[in-house]
Amino acid sequence: MLRALGIDKSFTGVHALRGVSMEVRPNEVVGLIGENGAVKSTLLRILAGVHRPDGGTIEIDGQAVTIRNAREANAHGIGIVFQEQSLLLNMSVAENIYLGQEAAFTRLGLIDARRRNAAARRQLEKVGLDIEPTRRTAELSFAARQMVELAKALALEERTDRALTILLDEPTSVLESRDIEILFARMRALKARASFVFVSHRLEEVLHVSDRVYVMKDGGVVAERAAGGVSVPDLHQMMVGRGLQTEYYREARQVPPAERVVLQTRGLGVAGAYRDVDLDLHAGEVLGIAGVIGSGREELTRTLFGFLPPTAGTLAVNGTPAVLRSPAEAVARGIGYIPRERRVEGLVMFLSVATNITLARLGAVLRMGLIAHGRERRLAQDWVRRLTIRTPDVATPCRNLSGGNQQKTVLARWMTAKSRILILDHPTRGLDVGAKEEVYELIRALSEDGVAVVLTSDTLEETIGLSHTILVMRDGAVTGRFAAPAGGKPQQVDLVRHMV
Amino acid sequence: MTTIASRMAGAAWLRAASPVLLLVVLVVGIGSAAPGFMRLETLGLLLSDTAVLFVMAAGLTFVIMVGGIDLSVQAVASLASVVVAQWLPVLGYAAFPAAILAGLAVGLLSGFVHVRFRIPSFVATLATGGVVAGLALLASHGQTVTILEAGRAQARWVSGSLLGVPDLILIGALVAVGGLIVQRFTPFGRYSAAIGAGEPAAWASGIRVERTKIVAFGISGGLAALAGVLLAARLSSGSPTLANEMLLPAIAAVVVGGTAITGGVGSVARTIVGALIVSIVRIGMTFLNVNIFAQQIVFGAALVLAVAITIDRTKIPIVK
Amino acid sequence: MTRPTAQVSAAGRGAAAPEGVWPWLRRRAADWAPAVVLLGICVALAVLNPAFMEPRNLVRVANSAAIPLILAIGATFIIAMGSIDLSVEGVMSLGTMIVAMLAANDANANDFGWWAPLLAVLAASALGAVNGVVHVGLRIPSFMATLGIWFVGRGIANTALGGSAVRVMDPSIRDLALHRMFGMPFAVWIAIACFLCALGVERLTRFGRYVFAIGGGEDIAELSGIAVRRVRVMAFTLAGFFYGIAAVLAAAQLGQSNAVIADGRLFMTVTAVVVGGTALTGGEGGVLNTLIGVLIVGVLANGMVLLGVSPYVHQAVQGLMIIGAVALSTRRSRLQFVK
Repeated sequence: MLRALGIDKSFTGVHALRGVSMEVRPNEVVGLIGENGAVKSTLLRILAGVHRPDGGTIEIDGQAVTIRNAREANAHGIGIVFQEQSLLLNMSVAENIYLGQEAAFTRLGLIDARRRNAAARRQLEKVGLDIEPTRRTAELSFAARQMVELAKALALEERTDRALTILLDEPTSVLESRDIEILFARMRALKARASFVFVSHRLEEVLHVSDRVYVMKDGGVVAERAAGGVSVPDLHQMMVGRGLQTEYYREARQVPPAERVVLQTRGLGVAGAYRDVDLDLHAGEVLGIAGVIGSGREELTRTLFGFLPPTAGTLAVNGTPAVLRSPAEAVARGIGYIPRERRVEGLVMFLSVATNITLARLGAVLRMGLIAHGRERRLAQDWVRRLTIRTPDVATPCRNLSGGNQQKTVLARWMTAKSRILILDHPTRGLDVGAKEEVYELIRALSEDGVAVVLTSDTLEETIGLSHTILVMRDGAVTGRFAAPAGGKPQQVDLVRHMV
Repeated sequence: MTTIASRMAGAAWLRAASPVLLLVVLVVGIGSAAPGFMRLETLGLLLSDTAVLFVMAAGLTFVIMVGGIDLSVQAVASLASVVVAQWLPVLGYAAFPAAILAGLAVGLLSGFVHVRFRIPSFVATLATGGVVAGLALLASHGQTVTILEAGRAQARWVSGSLLGVPDLILIGALVAVGGLIVQRFTPFGRYSAAIGAGEPAAWASGIRVERTKIVAFGISGGLAALAGVLLAARLSSGSPTLANEMLLPAIAAVVVGGTAITGGVGSVARTIVGALIVSIVRIGMTFLNVNIFAQQIVFGAALVLAVAITIDRTKIPIVK
Repeated sequence: MTRPTAQVSAAGRGAAAPEGVWPWLRRRAADWAPAVVLLGICVALAVLNPAFMEPRNLVRVANSAAIPLILAIGATFIIAMGSIDLSVEGVMSLGTMIVAMLAANDANANDFGWWAPLLAVLAASALGAVNGVVHVGLRIPSFMATLGIWFVGRGIANTALGGSAVRVMDPSIRDLALHRMFGMPFAVWIAIACFLCALGVERLTRFGRYVFAIGGGEDIAELSGIAVRRVRVMAFTLAGFFYGIAAVLAAAQLGQSNAVIADGRLFMTVTAVVVGGTALTGGEGGVLNTLIGVLIVGVLANGMVLLGVSPYVHQAVQGLMIIGAVALSTRRSRLQFVK
C-alpha cells in the first residue's frame, strides 16, 4: 500500500501542493481529479521520484521511504506514464521498454537483442499490443505509444518483488474512444497485479474506471469518495470552492465594453488542437477563456499572438483581415502578450527594466535613428511611477525584481507599445496575493481605457471575476459562452459543467 | 534577498572588471620585466598588431552577442586578402570595398543559411568557411599573390601613419567607435543584446529575430574581410591561407574580454581589452622565449577557461 | 517539453501512425537518400569516364577513404549524441607527432618500434577523454571545449616537431598503411576492421545504445537512469581512440609528421558524417551512414580528379554539401531555438 502524508511542494510559477494526503490500496484504481492540471502532475511526479517534496512523508506498506529518483521509485514498485510522452522516438519499442535496464540481457558486454525483444514482446502482450518490438517508436500512433509506455511501466514487475503502483497522468487525452476502452479494459485486467492512480479531466472516465476518487482544489485534497457513490454533478460541486470574493477582482469597477469589435475570428482552428472558434472581442472587453489542459485554449491564445499559425479560419484585427505568422506581426498590429512563462517569454531577465519596457517599441525613444538613453530612462521612470513598479532603479536587471513587479514591467512594455489588444496568458501565475491584486487593478484600468483583453487563468474565480464574457472550451471546441457582467456573474459550477 | 542580489551584482562587477585588471597586471608585469616593452615603437607595433586582430574580433563579438559563433572568419579574411591583391591592379582603390563587400555577402549568406535552414551556427559557418576557403584557393591557384609597387602606394592608407600614429591603430579605433555606437545606440544593437540574453522573450516582444541574426553575421563577415584587407595591405600580399592562424586568437579575444559565449552579455569595448590581452600575452610569451607553437596550447586552454568563467549556464539546461 | 499536439489517430491501436503513402515514402527516401546519391555519382562517373571503374582506380578510392572513414567513425558517436567535436585535427596532429617522434625517425634517436603507434593511440584517446571531461566537468558546450582542445593538441604537436617535418624511418610502421593484402593496402583493411568494431559497439553494446538515447532525448535518458555524463566522456574518449588510429595510418601513409598533416580533416569529417545522414541534432544515423557519407565525399573527390576539375573546387563543393545535407534533414519548425 502506498500512502502520501501531508505532501508540500512549491516552486516558482507553479501552483504548490499544500499538505496533500492520499493512499493507494492494493489492486485498486484511484482517480485523481481537479481543475488545475499542474497540481495533479506535480503530485504524481513526486511519487515517481522526479521531484522531491518540500515536506510530508511517503509510506510504502507502512514504512516511510525517500524517493530520490526514478530508479528508486522503480525499486519501490512505482512506475509512471507521463502526460507528455516520454519515449525516445529514435529508438525501437523494445529499446524503449528496457532503456537503462539492458544489463539483464547483456552477455560479455554485448546486448542480446533477441532475448530483449522477446521479453519486450511479453510486456507488449500484457497490454494487448500486437506490434513488432523492433519497430521504431516514431512510426507508432499516439495510442500505441501510450500502450508502450504502459508496458514499460509494467515491466517493473520483473525487477521488484513489491506490489506495483502505476501512475497514469492524463493517459486518455490523446486517445480515441475505442483506444480508451481498450486502455480501461487492460487496467481492469491488470488490477490483479497492480494498483493504478489515474488522472484525467474527463469525469465520466474517472468514475467509470476508478474504485475511489480524490478531488483536488487549490493544491489540497478536498474530498475522497467511493466512485460508486458519487455522480458527475457531485464532483463538479466538489471541484468548485466556496466563498467567492468578488471585490477582490474589482468587480465594482467593471464597465461595459464598447460596441467596436477589435479582434474577430471565424472558424479559427489549428489541426489537432482546436477548431471552429468564433469570437468577437470588443474594445474595453475582458474575454475569459476557460478550459482544462487539452481543451485547446492554450493553443488558441498562442494563435492570437502569432506563435501558432492557424490551419483553418480567418482572423481580423480592427476589421482588417490579418495573418499572424510571428509575434512580430502581432505586435505590429497592436497586440501585446503576457506569457505564463514570465522568465522565459516575458522578460529578458538579464537586461534592465528600462530596456525591457522599450523593447517592443524602441521607436518611442529614438532620435535620428539612434537610441536616446536619457529619453528612454525618463520614459521608463514614468512607467515605474505610474504602475508603482518597485525597483531600485530603471537600470536594474529584471531578474532582481519580484514576480509581481516583473509582471508589471511586461505590462509597461505593452502600454509603451500602445497595444490595444492584450493576450494575458495566466498573468497571475506564481504571484502572491498582494501582487495579484495589483495586476487585477491594472487589468481593470486598461479595460476602462478601452484596451481589449483575452484572458486565460489558473482559477475559475479569477476568470469569472475579471471577465465581461467567458468562452468555455472542451476537447478543442467551444462548448459554452457566458455573459459575465458586474452583478450578474455565472456560477463556477455552470462553467465546470461545460469544461469536463 | 537584497544581499544575494547585491552580492550577485558585485560578482558581475568583478567579472566585468577582471579583464581590465588582468590587462593592467600584464602591462605592468611585462613592462617591469622587459623595460624595452614600454618604448613608444614597441607599443605602436603592439597596437598595430592588435588592431587587425581586434577588427576581426569586433565582428565576431556581434555574432557571439546573439548567441552564435562564426568559424568562417579566417577563411573570409584570407579570401579578402586574395581579392585585394588580385584586383588592386585592375580596380584600383575600388578593390578595397569590393573585398569588404565580398566578406559582407559571405557573412549574410552564413546568417541566412543558419537561420533559414535552422543549422547550428558553428556548422553553418564551418560550411560557408569551407566554400570560401575553396574559392580563395581557386582564385589564387593556391599561391601567394604579391601586391606590386603601384598597389602598395594605394595601400598606403593602411600601412602609413597620420601625425606619427600608425593608420592601423586609427582604423582599429574607428571600428571600435563605430561598433560601440552600433551596440549602444541603434535598435539593431539593442535587439542583438535582447536576443542573446533571452531569445524567446525577444521573439515574444515582436523583435524580428532572424533578420537581426543575419545582420550580425553580415557584420562579422564584413569586418573579417576588413581584417583580411588590412593584413594584405600590411604584408603587401594576399594568400588563401593568410589568416589561418587568426580564428582562435579572435575568439579568445572576444571571450577573454568578458563576452559570454552564450550571448547577451558583452560589448565591443570588452573585445578591445580582450584583444589587447591576447596580443600582450603573445608578445610576452615571445619575450619569455615561449615557442610560437606552444602559444597555441596556452590560447586553447585560456579559451576553455574563459568560456567556463563567462558562460551563463542557466540558459542551457542541457549542455550539448 | 512540448507535447506533440494531439494528433488524433484514425487508425486503431497497434497500427502504424496514420500516415499516407507519400509521407512514408518521403521518410524512407530520406533514409535511403545517401545510398542513392552514392550510387548515382558512381554511375555518372562510370559513364563520364570509364577509368573510374578500373580496379586500380577503385583501390585508389578505397585507399584515400580509409583515414577519413576512421576519423568520421569517431565523430559519428559524438554527433549522434547531439554534440560536436572540433578537435579532430588537434588530436590527429598529436597522434602523428607521437608516431613520428617515437618510431625510428630522422629527428632523434628514438626507436620504440610498435610502442610508437600504441602510445599514439593512447595519447589520442587521452586527449579525447580530456575533451569529454572539460565539456562535462566545466559544463561548457562541446563545440567550445573541443575548439580549445583542437589548438592545445595542435600546439603540443607543433612544439614537439619544432615546425619541421619529421620522417618515419621504421619500415614496419610504414607497412601498416602501405603493405598490400589481397590487392588492397593494409590501411583499407584497418579501416574496415574499425568500421566493423564501431558498428558492433553502436548496435550491440549498452554504451552504443545510450549514445543514441542521449541524442534522442537527454532528459528522458537521464530519467531512465542512464549515467549521461559518463557516457559522454566515454564517447569523446572513443572518438579520440579512432582519431589516434587514423593518425597512425596518416603517419604511416605519408611517412612523416608535419605541421599541416591534419589540415582540412575536420571539415572533411563533418561533411562525411552529415552527408551520410547522421543528424546534427543527434539520435539519428550511425556508423553505416558515415561509411556511405565518406564514400560519397571520396568518390566525388576522385571523380573530380578524373574529370580534371581543380581540387580547390572540391572543398567548396564539400561546404555546399554540408549545407544541403543538413537543410534537407532538418525538420523546420519553430519548436526550439537554434544557436
